[in-house]
Amino acid sequence: MGVTMPSSMSTEDRDQDHVRLVERLKHELAEALEFQTATSKVLEIISRSPTNAQPVFDMIAESAARLCAAKYCFAYRFDGQLLHFVAHHGATAEVVEMNRRNYPAPPGRGHVTPRAILERRVVQVPDVSADTAYALGAMAAAAGYRSAAAVPILRDGMPIGAIAVTRAQTGLLPERQIQLLKTFADQAAIAIENARLFEEVQARNGELRVALEQQTATSEVLSVISRSKFNLQPVLDAIARGAARLCGGVMGGVFRYDGKLMHVGAMVNFAPGGEETWRGLYPRPATADTATGRAILQKTVVTVADVEQDRREEWAREVARTGGYRSAMAAPMLREGVAIGAVLIARTEPSSFAAADVDLLKTFADQAVIAIENTRLFEEVQARTRELTEALVRQTASAEILRVISSSPTDTQPVFDKIMESAVRLCDARYALVYRLEGEMLQLVAHHNFSPKALEPFRRTFPHRLSESGTLGAQAMIRREIIVIDDIECDSGVSEAVRELARSAGYRSVIVVPMMRDGLPLGSIALTRSAEGGGPEPFSRQQIKLLEMFAEHVGIAIENTQLFEEVQRRTRELQEALEYQTATGEVLNVISRSPSQLQPVLDTIVATASRLCEADYAVVFRLKDDGIYHVAAANNAEAAFVKHAAEHPVPPGRGSLVGRTALEGRTVHLPDCLTDPDFTYFDYQSIGNYRSMLGVPLLRDGTPTGVIAMLRRVVKPFTDKQIELVTTFADQAVIAIESTRLFEEVEARNRDLTALGEVGRAVSATLDLNVVLKTIIDRAVDLSGTDGGSIFYLREERGAFELGETSGLEEQVVAKFRKLDIAARETGLGEAIAKRQPLQVPDVTKRASNPLRDAALEAGLRAALIVPLISSEEPLGALVLQRRQPGEFSPAVVSLMQSFADQSTIALENAQLFEEIARKSRELEIASQHKSQFVANMSHELRTPLAAILGYTELIQEGFYGALPEKSMDALTRIRSNGKHLLGLINTVLDIAKIESGQFSLNLAEYALASVVETVRAATESLAETKKLALKTEVSKSLPIGFGDEQRLTQVLLNLVGNAIKFTDTGEVRITASTENGHFAVSVADTGPGIPADQLTRVFDQFHQVDNSNTKKKGGTGLGLAIAKQIVEMHGGRVWVESEVGQGATFQMQLPVRAESRKPLQ
Amino acid sequence: MSKRILVVEDQEDLRGVLRTLLTGSGYEMLEAADGQAGVEKATAERPDLILMDIQMPLLDGYEATRQIKADAELAATPIIAISSFAMKGDEEKARSAGCDHYVTKPYSPMQLLRVIRGFLDDKL
Repeated sequence: MGVTMPSSMSTEDRDQDHVRLVERLKHELAEALEFQTATSKVLEIISRSPTNAQPVFDMIAESAARLCAAKYCFAYRFDGQLLHFVAHHGATAEVVEMNRRNYPAPPGRGHVTPRAILERRVVQVPDVSADTAYALGAMAAAAGYRSAAAVPILRDGMPIGAIAVTRAQTGLLPERQIQLLKTFADQAAIAIENARLFEEVQARNGELRVALEQQTATSEVLSVISRSKFNLQPVLDAIARGAARLCGGVMGGVFRYDGKLMHVGAMVNFAPGGEETWRGLYPRPATADTATGRAILQKTVVTVADVEQDRREEWAREVARTGGYRSAMAAPMLREGVAIGAVLIARTEPSSFAAADVDLLKTFADQAVIAIENTRLFEEVQARTRELTEALVRQTASAEILRVISSSPTDTQPVFDKIMESAVRLCDARYALVYRLEGEMLQLVAHHNFSPKALEPFRRTFPHRLSESGTLGAQAMIRREIIVIDDIECDSGVSEAVRELARSAGYRSVIVVPMMRDGLPLGSIALTRSAEGGGPEPFSRQQIKLLEMFAEHVGIAIENTQLFEEVQRRTRELQEALEYQTATGEVLNVISRSPSQLQPVLDTIVATASRLCEADYAVVFRLKDDGIYHVAAANNAEAAFVKHAAEHPVPPGRGSLVGRTALEGRTVHLPDCLTDPDFTYFDYQSIGNYRSMLGVPLLRDGTPTGVIAMLRRVVKPFTDKQIELVTTFADQAVIAIESTRLFEEVEARNRDLTALGEVGRAVSATLDLNVVLKTIIDRAVDLSGTDGGSIFYLREERGAFELGETSGLEEQVVAKFRKLDIAARETGLGEAIAKRQPLQVPDVTKRASNPLRDAALEAGLRAALIVPLISSEEPLGALVLQRRQPGEFSPAVVSLMQSFADQSTIALENAQLFEEIARKSRELEIASQHKSQFVANMSHELRTPLAAILGYTELIQEGFYGALPEKSMDALTRIRSNGKHLLGLINTVLDIAKIESGQFSLNLAEYALASVVETVRAATESLAETKKLALKTEVSKSLPIGFGDEQRLTQVLLNLVGNAIKFTDTGEVRITASTENGHFAVSVADTGPGIPADQLTRVFDQFHQVDNSNTKKKGGTGLGLAIAKQIVEMHGGRVWVESEVGQGATFQMQLPVRAESRKPLQ
Repeated sequence: MSKRILVVEDQEDLRGVLRTLLTGSGYEMLEAADGQAGVEKATAERPDLILMDIQMPLLDGYEATRQIKADAELAATPIIAISSFAMKGDEEKARSAGCDHYVTKPYSPMQLLRVIRGFLDDKL
């Protein structure tokens, strides 16, 4: 009995689709993994070799050539004018050499790479032979490529290089590979930019080193000069003394003249009170009332013989008295015609001065000039030396600073400290402060010499917004100029707050220099001081200049640091990118390693996500059939939190992160959940103790199926990069879930199919309906994981349901169900049957009371699934699943139950069919018995009168009733002949009846074929003689003994020979018998009219007659050959006829010598 | 004394053929029109040979043969079954019931006579 499974074909198709889809997903995963690995490798090389882009290009060329299945890959750099060939992979040395000759070259249209540079986009030439602008046909032929593609390397939209691949086949490069090449191009851009930055920093450091060396060399000379000393006073004293002694004077003096005033240079031998008086009168203008004044003005030697007598000396008379002299002589000190002073000698007595004395004094005056000139020169040298020394000090300081800058390029703090220390030392300041602008805020980043107490007011003031406070540090930056305040107490431009700040720290004088870079203020440096005793002590111009220089140095330091920070940031970014790539690669790996298991993937995702995004923990929630989000994986979360989350699944809603993410279907970021106005999940929060939250939805076809929640115990918002990363993880989770779901679906389907197969086997293995239905309901309860199941039959004649097989239900419940009177209309059973589809009863308490519902409720069964059993629109009953837990049954269960219901229906139909067949068989058996009886009866009924007719005829012929006239004897012969013919007809009908009823069988025994032929010849001889036909037999001498039904074979041959005689009017009938290949070959050939070709096989059909008119003439039932064929075939032989119309016919038999009884072919 | 042959045959016409044949051939023919009568007659008369029709009212030839052959005194009496059945197994049934020979209707009286003579060893 065959059982067909409903829609089994389409199920297989679906499974195959699933398998194909899974295969495709696997393949894509593997490819994505390969791409990830390649890009990760490139990133690794970038981070390992930040100063050199070449290894990166080499790696990219190798990876691109491999992953794009390219003939080769070339990489180029573009300097803004020319393209340079920098890396290659896969090309032969000859092709590489050809390409080297082509470059450097400007952008153009002749090849993909120059074209990509020109157009700043991906350029593909799908068939180089079809591209008229393509100029490298010779190279394409040599290299054996037919298509080419180039991706430009862009920085800020400008081309800086390109990656080109060529392939042996024509056509466009697949989009995935183009994306890969773009990724490589981006990475190449990073590598180039990195190398450029490093070169810049290196160049700067080089310049600093050169400056440092020059300064060190000059510093030694300067230090020697600065140590030399020269003093004018002893020279002047010596001149004054020498002049007084040598020129006959008692007293001597040297006066210096600066063009306006005369100053006392030296005085010797004056009376003690007189010298003081004199000194008190000077400096005074050079006037004619003194000898020195006149000498300076007249530029000649002046003599005064007696002060008391000289009218010109009226003013000087009193002075002379106090000085104790009467006569004096003064000689001017002339340098290049200009008086710079005068030498004076004086005597206590009136006297004239000899010419020799005058000349001598002149000499002294000249010496004094030389001495003063020398001194001036020396002072000049010294001043220059001082200046140089100062410069040296400054330069030494700046050298120190530069050394610090170059030794700690990544940290500004040591630079600030050194600068302040130097500035304070060199500018003789008390305090130093460095401010730096960080964003909007001005920060105090370094200070020098402050006591904690003095610093305190500054700590309170800083940081502040640049625009919001009038601190001097801010003002210098805003005005972009140096602020110099000699005395803060007297400066009207200073606010009281600034003044208060100065007072609290204890300074009066301030200078503030802004630090600029590219015209923008980076910060400022301030120096402050006050004189001893608290007064102001303004800074000198040189000190201001020095500070300016320091500010410049700081600018360099900051710029350097920023450059380094940029490089470091990039390196960090690369490392991060690498880490992210590795992480996503890991997840992909896990996915591809365990496509059927979701948990390892989710575990990996939460572990990796929480590590990389610096979350304290990460949790994945998944949407279940109940529409609520349940925890599926957690990392680092405390057990109490996981337990709480497991017990409290989250519905969509704004009150929770997970709910809101699910509700909105997009990423939700709560920098601090406690300040979020809509957040209400405080029980969760208090257990999890988190503040910053990030929720990323798992979207499948735009619909949320889960949420990744990242949680931090502190308020620390997630960065864009972290959010992006979690989004990537979410995508991967979706892939994993989808892949797992497909696997599960395939498995579930396999499970279902297995179950259906079991049921199907049960249906086909046994006709016991109860066993089948019990199997079905057991499997249904098993697979759906429900608490119980039952089958109800609809007894339409009673208008009620009756409980059939059950599974999983307690005995007393079953007993109770059995006793119920379940009306056809009023229960869910009736409803499901009326609707012709499965009925979900999520909660029986919600349904109107009826006996079945009440009994189920009493048994604690809350939910039910009722699947009607309907056979060709005829309701048979229903399959019912019952569950203690209220709620809907999943679509998968419903679909499975539908299959089980179909099976149940088939089983029920089968049972009905079987009953019908059994009934029919019984009827047929009876009918068959009747037929056999009828045939037996007919045989009896026909044979009995025939026996009487033939019996009496024979007895009369045999003379039992006395002698009869010859005429009567002839009539008796005819009676007997016709009687026998009638008997033959009866036997034929009987044989056909036997064949039809399958009762025709052979009586196998040994026989001699020769005797069969002889019997037939003897039986037909007289008939042939009557028609004047020759009846010939040709029988082989050595025929083996046969095994078969002799009587039936005789009947066959008799039929064939009888027919031959009957249809042949002249000529002969020939019987032959021989052996061929272990078979008897028997033939009956006649010289009759023959059989048309189209009739040759049909002559053996029942009731067939070749030509009805002819047959009527010849007589016969048309059944004989059919019976003959049957008999021959039952012996395992065959019979056929060869004939042509007008050429007679030959019937041939091939019989196994030893036949095995076999069933007739019906 | 001529040998006695019991013909158990419900058809008078056939009994008539056999009567002519047997009496005309020197045998004494005893007759019974059904199986029951045949068994009684055989028990009472102890014939030398019995010709037994198979299909008869009251008691068929098989059963009658069984009963006759069950009688130890008649067990050796040859019984020739004459059946109008030509279905498979008829001869086996007859032989297993105890018949010594089996002839189908319509039979040739002269051939039957040869069979009878063979059983009775008469060289007439």
